[in-house]
Amino acid sequence: MEFRAFMVNMIQSELEDVVGRENVSVNEADKLTYGVDYFWVARMWADKGKKPPAPDFIVRPGSAEEVSKILKIANYYKIPVQTWGGGSGSQGSALPMAGGILLDVKRMNRLISLDEKAMTITAETGMIFQTLEWHANAKGLSIMHIPSCLTCGTVGGALAHRGIGILSTKYGKIDDQCLSMEVVLPNGDIINTLPVPKHAAGPDLNQIFIGSEGTLGVMTKASFRLVKLPEARRFRAFLFKDFVTGIEACKEIVQTVKPSIVRLFDEAETVSIIKKVLGFDKRGAFMNMAVEGNARITAIEEEIAMEICAKYGAMDLGAEYGEKWFENRITFFYPGHIMNNPQMFGTMDTISTYDNVERIYWAMKHAVEDNFPNVRFIAHCSHWYDWGTMIYDRFIMDEPPEDPEEAIRLHNQIWNAGVRAAMQNGGVINDHHGVGLKLSRLMKEQYGPAMQVFNGLKKSLDPNGIMNPYKLGL
Amino acid sequence: MFSEKAKIHADACRFCWMCRHICPVGLVSGKEGNTPRGRALIVSMDSRNIPLTADAAALMYECCLCNACANDCKTGYDPTVFTREARTMAVVNGLVPPEVEKVIDRAMQGSLYAGEPDSSLRAAIERLPEKADTLVYLGDVTLHQSPEMALDLFKVLKAAGVEFTVLRDERASGAHLGDLIGYVDEVRLMSAACAQRIQETGAKKIVVLDPSDARFIKQQWGAWDLLQPDVQVITATSYVAKLLDSGRLRLRQLPYQSTTFHDPCRLARDLDETEPARRIIVAMGIPLREMFLNRKLTKCCSGAIIHQTDPALSKKIAAGRWEDAAATGADLLITACPGCRSVLGSQAPKGKLVRDIFSLLAEAC
Repeated sequence: MEFRAFMVNMIQSELEDVVGRENVSVNEADKLTYGVDYFWVARMWADKGKKPPAPDFIVRPGSAEEVSKILKIANYYKIPVQTWGGGSGSQGSALPMAGGILLDVKRMNRLISLDEKAMTITAETGMIFQTLEWHANAKGLSIMHIPSCLTCGTVGGALAHRGIGILSTKYGKIDDQCLSMEVVLPNGDIINTLPVPKHAAGPDLNQIFIGSEGTLGVMTKASFRLVKLPEARRFRAFLFKDFVTGIEACKEIVQTVKPSIVRLFDEAETVSIIKKVLGFDKRGAFMNMAVEGNARITAIEEEIAMEICAKYGAMDLGAEYGEKWFENRITFFYPGHIMNNPQMFGTMDTISTYDNVERIYWAMKHAVEDNFPNVRFIAHCSHWYDWGTMIYDRFIMDEPPEDPEEAIRLHNQIWNAGVRAAMQNGGVINDHHGVGLKLSRLMKEQYGPAMQVFNGLKKSLDPNGIMNPYKLGL
Repeated sequence: MFSEKAKIHADACRFCWMCRHICPVGLVSGKEGNTPRGRALIVSMDSRNIPLTADAAALMYECCLCNACANDCKTGYDPTVFTREARTMAVVNGLVPPEVEKVIDRAMQGSLYAGEPDSSLRAAIERLPEKADTLVYLGDVTLHQSPEMALDLFKVLKAAGVEFTVLRDERASGAHLGDLIGYVDEVRLMSAACAQRIQETGAKKIVVLDPSDARFIKQQWGAWDLLQPDVQVITATSYVAKLLDSGRLRLRQLPYQSTTFHDPCRLARDLDETEPARRIIVAMGIPLREMFLNRKLTKCCSGAIIHQTDPALSKKIAAGRWEDAAATGADLLITACPGCRSVLGSQAPKGKLVRDIFSLLAEAC
């Protein structure tokens, strides 16, 4: 929508009336900082000197009530609203592609309660997740949501993308850890989900909004379960002869004991990233594992896991590499270690039941490497369930096309090929980064007729279609 | 044009979010432009068709330069490199916000503050010998904002039998001007004039009270080769801790039981001095309740510059640090920096108190 003459100023003053003048910005420098997230296309676009997508207004609310008023204004003028937390998502979910309002929620960062009797912690969703975890740690507790983006992303960002942490094999995903939420609906109504997520009072409302990427409303508060910090955490690393043998061994481990970390790297990632960061220089499939909790129980769990690995012919590498990996777990994501422009890269994380894991891995690897010259494919499995595992597939191209439009075309072709290979073999469009702008076009292929459920929710809750347009296939 | 060094750091940081959780400004403002990543993106675009503007320059001046981000970086990138250089660019291109420009104008004249240094402190300095082997460098913030801290340090040094002097017409070290306009010639000349006055006293040991000055004198003056190699520069906190260790200072136990210590960023991160202050506090029988972000992880209280250029922002940043202190349950916050003392003191919540370590020492002597 084009605003004529002083209409922009009229809307701006209305927004300022809600949040205060200092919390609304229309200046170009501020807008620039919201035009790039972790999405490769947005990064490449900026790297080439192209003007990043920009909102018309940056609005920074301080409470759910202010969010409510802003959404009412946005609905009246039919202005798009894109919610921004940390802005560190890789799928372009927060990018202000439709202009309008960029709702930066980071001022909403208060700790509401930490209840040691209930073992719950509640905070506003603009809080950086590390801050929330620090609050828990100060009491000897933890949420146990420890993603690589712990220090970058907000509580709301983790929820909006169905995030996951490195300890998920024992403690679950964010959708397992969240107990209840406060959500501002697109019409401005403030609602609360039920106090607990396990009940027989109809479907769990939490799960409608978790993963909705700002398309169905704005999550403003969330409560999480707490657990005691572990008495012991024991690491062990192994080398399997190949990735497939490793998958079988890891499946048996998670069927038998409850490790917190199981990370199995394929042969390509073992000789590239693991070698670079940990200095481990052998061929095969590297696996590191941790068990944690009660010291006596973890000792037994480790012993059983070692027996299973020995049965599959793995070389026991001791505790050192596992400890080193844990110490360096976020080093992988710093400049100089992580893939960076001008490289083209992407993480096509998917998940399936065990019977499809190997098939998906090879199908994706062939779809990417056979169809796109000079593209490398690496993978690891790092979030395990008793029914299956996530496959963290990545592609890397060192010298993508110089022309940004050609680069976007190739980027999307690679993604289409890889993700379609996953979906056609029993995998899903994404495991824990979300869909965003990057994969929005593939949502209908993923869901087929089931997509009408989401469309129905969207139409009912957001009839003007103002909430995060172009994202999540909605 | 930014230097190649600044471009390398900005290009590394523009797509990296890893340190945003410890940025004291971004945490309280919630603005992307107040994160190291946001500033890096702006700087990186300067050479990519989107030049630095006045709005962008304003964001550069909202950074505390506290180094929390650089300290957190696993691969050694330093957002203060391009932030400081962006300030130089802003000055050169006339993009400095008016309220900052006023402070720069004052700093060019030698002080962040309008008006004369505290008169009682001046009188006390007049009573000191004009020459001694040990010279105490007080710094601009102490002279104007925290004169009691200097007077208390004098008492402590006298109690330990230290003969010392202080310059009658102490000049600015250049630390603050360097933060405001970058390490340019004007700053080097200001620093050189200060260094020359110090050299003329013949002092061989310079005890620096303000950690900002100490960091600048030790590191940047060192890089500019402004002091003779036989001149030792030491922070006041470390110096007093050594006096204590050597038995020259005897302290009585103080009754304060509900206390926490705020590590000044320059002392903790830039000079790696986190323990001398704690040794002193323990020696006075004061138990500490550590804040969660302590030692090198300390969270800046805004610093003396933002306190002058943007008092509203300074207030929010200081309130952020007071929240950390409140979480410990402590009623008394101890610090070792005149800037922190002044900023945190002016924002102390009801029932909370700030004391500098030298005022406690003076009480314990």
